[in-house]
Amino acid sequence: MNWRAILTSRFFVVPSALVAALIGWNLYVAAHAHGQVSGKVLRADGAPAAGATVVLYERNLTSHFLEKSRTITDAAGAFRFDDNRSHQIRLDTIGPNGRQGQPLILRLWFAAQDIRLRDALVLPAPKG
Amino acid sequence: MRKRGHLLRHLAMVLVCALMLVPFYWVAKTAVTNENIYAYPPRILPLDPHLYNFVDVWYLIPFARYFANSVIVSLIAVAGNILFNAAAGYALTKNFAGKRAVVLLFLSCMLIPFQATIIPAYLVSARLGVLNSYLGLALPLLSTIVCIFIFKAAFEAIPTSLQQAARIDGLGELRILFRIMLPLAKPAIATNVILSFIWSWNAFLWPLIITRDVTMQTLPLGLARFLAYVEDTTGALYAFVCMVLLPGIVVFLMAQKEFIRGLTSGATKG
Repeated sequence: MNWRAILTSRFFVVPSALVAALIGWNLYVAAHAHGQVSGKVLRADGAPAAGATVVLYERNLTSHFLEKSRTITDAAGAFRFDDNRSHQIRLDTIGPNGRQGQPLILRLWFAAQDIRLRDALVLPAPKG
Repeated sequence: MRKRGHLLRHLAMVLVCALMLVPFYWVAKTAVTNENIYAYPPRILPLDPHLYNFVDVWYLIPFARYFANSVIVSLIAVAGNILFNAAAGYALTKNFAGKRAVVLLFLSCMLIPFQATIIPAYLVSARLGVLNSYLGLALPLLSTIVCIFIFKAAFEAIPTSLQQAARIDGLGELRILFRIMLPLAKPAIATNVILSFIWSWNAFLWPLIITRDVTMQTLPLGLARFLAYVEDTTGALYAFVCMVLLPGIVVFLMAQKEFIRGLTSGATKG
């Protein structure tokens, strides 16, 4: 049997390359899928919004976004979730005064992808 | 002058190819955007392309499960096709009583659409106890008449002196088929692989009837299910179409040379 011819044929090379790419991608996913979502919430004046509520929604097939969990920002306005299992999430922010910020929809490359928001979530200015 | 003729001919061929590829381009373009396909005027180039629709497809339905089911069924169909079609094709190269009737029966069976035989096929599958199983899904495609004739044509193109020499060396008919004939009929094998793979990969009606369990469904059924659930996401739907098409295209591109040779072998014989 001519092993060299078999190993260099496209019937071996193409499937092998696809399998190698698949394994590589899965290893990358396994190393970066802890479900961590972190970021910052700011007030309209740019100051950190301590005590704001951040709600995490997950997308599913039948009912779009369902609430998964919620957390409160710390003194620096930072928040963090460790339980995201979805590939598409929505983050809602509610200020201590009850006013709601613009929801942010995030599409991830894979489920439970670890992500740190580059831009902070901004709460609306209080009325008056 | 001759060079100019060549150039014009190639230009015409490129234009025809481009025209035939337009639907594929449109599917791929819609898959990487969320554009409405009915938007007027249509946009030629994709605006803000992204691959998130493919991610949606992967996670919103059990795509990996459907994919695995399709691969298993296609592999069974391909293996069955090579085995049974090669045996039948080899038998048809021999002279035996009633050969003409068998060939006529095969040819007339090709005229009957599969939809007309689906009830008997279902009853046979039920009697065999292969409903809702991989073997049952692949059963109607385990042997196809077109591919039997492709093997027959390929075997007839091989000199009979080779078979006679093998017989003198003491080889039986099965060993002649697998040791002598099949290695010399690689284009026919490639044609069988491509055709049976694509037919089983795209099969919709038979899997729809024979599967009772969601976990046994194949990709075309998954596509229908996906369409039923998320009818508003055109981009994700077209991404699903791309993901269903891709394996078939890869298999075809890998074996296209042998495929063409397999289809045309024996075509010029008198």
